Amino acid sequence: MATESTSFSLRDIAGSRFPLLEYAPDATVIVDGGGIIRLVNSQTERLFGYYREELIGHAVEMLIPERHRARHAGERTEYAADPHVRPMGVGLELFGLRKDGREFPVEISLSPIVTREGTFVASAIRDVTERKAFERRLQELNAELESANRAKDQFLASMSHELRTPLNAILGFTGTLLMKLPGPLNAEQERQLQIVRSSAAHLLSLINDIMDLAKIESGKREVTFEPVAIADVVAAVRDSLGSLAAEKGLRFSSDVAGDLAAVTDRRALHQILLNLINNAIKYTESGSVHVGARPVNSGGAPRIAIDVTDTGIGIRTVDLQRLFAAFEQLDPTTTRRFEGTGLGLYLSRSLTELIGGELTVQSTHGAGSTFTLTLPHTHEAL
Amino acid sequence: MARILVIDDNPANLDLMLYLLRAFGHDAVGASNGVAGYEALRDGEYSLVLTDILMPGMDGYEIARRMKADARLVSTPLVAVTALAMAGDRARIDAAGFADYISKPIEPTTFVAQIERHLLPRTQT
Repeated sequence: MATESTSFSLRDIAGSRFPLLEYAPDATVIVDGGGIIRLVNSQTERLFGYYREELIGHAVEMLIPERHRARHAGERTEYAADPHVRPMGVGLELFGLRKDGREFPVEISLSPIVTREGTFVASAIRDVTERKAFERRLQELNAELESANRAKDQFLASMSHELRTPLNAILGFTGTLLMKLPGPLNAEQERQLQIVRSSAAHLLSLINDIMDLAKIESGKREVTFEPVAIADVVAAVRDSLGSLAAEKGLRFSSDVAGDLAAVTDRRALHQILLNLINNAIKYTESGSVHVGARPVNSGGAPRIAIDVTDTGIGIRTVDLQRLFAAFEQLDPTTTRRFEGTGLGLYLSRSLTELIGGELTVQSTHGAGSTFTLTLPHTHEAL
Repeated sequence: MARILVIDDNPANLDLMLYLLRAFGHDAVGASNGVAGYEALRDGEYSLVLTDILMPGMDGYEIARRMKADARLVSTPLVAVTALAMAGDRARIDAAGFADYISKPIEPTTFVAQIERHLLPRTQT
């Protein structure tokens, strides 16, 4: 390694020609081929608690905990055979030993120094006690977070189970009574039992909404993308909500081409449309609810837009912004009139984001609203 | 008419299933926990078993495991009736060898017809 260009000696390095070494932020220890300390800087004295006179002339192993000394001497010999700049002990936890016997974690980089007296090895040693403590704290925090998440999931699962269990008996026995299995009912008994049943069914749908939201927010809601005919989903929603519209005397129509399909999550699409159409029926006293679907090819990837249009109470411009927030029903006085927690649109928007779509609304207060769900045509557009 | 064992640790839900099955003419026998249910299975002959999943002592999975390991019980259809509704639950129930999975709340108008599909032809009358 020694060449003609080597024009300085170890003394030069120690002296004023290299002030950087003396004041470097890392402890620097220069060792000769036999592992004897030849030079240290002031940071070395601070870090290891020795005066430099106590170090120079001694084997470098004095700075290493006893249990690592034998291995270190072996590695030193290897390094001397092939000296190049590299970190020491990659993947190992390295420790320094202070004069007072305390150990501390270190990071060391090695580089050969060629002088007129021969090749030395310089070690830059950094105390990483603080960084290790941070890392440990970070690991602890991560573990805490993970266990908190697990606890939350566990809580949700058991909450869902515990709420469903009594509902099973409520809906079940209301059902057996309405099936008249125990005996006949008079008209008023039947009417009241139907109220019990529809209220319990409403409670169940709220529980399901809350569980769905919790799943979406914790990233646990699974989506399966498959080709879905829009008309099929609209027909299924019409089957569930048609009688509700008929009871209110609303015209309920749909116009969806049979060949219009999107690659999407069928259950999410069904849930969103069920919410939108249910809202349209709920907030419309007279007139109609119409569902239409159309391909959108203007710019970018082809998309499909599904419009749910009603002739209901509509939404004031100032209210449009908080429409999709959780637990919002726009006019507090309408809460009496329209039962619900205000979770529906919030859930619909969350589901829409999950399947890469967009949910928008246009409305004229007093004249009706159109909610538009825009879906990517294919999954790749996500 | 078939002899059906129903295992559920919630008295109201056990009552509901027994009531529905009897109303549709079946000979339904109830067990109020997993251990009692398994003892009834060992001592009697049943054409079908309905069981809750989450129960103290012996849960529905354990009942499924023991029935699958018992030559006399291995072919008796076992249906889970459970309020578990998380995504992973369904997969675990399918993997445990249940013939079917009915989620609570049950639909009383279709419940009996749904479980009758699992009765073997020779036991139906």
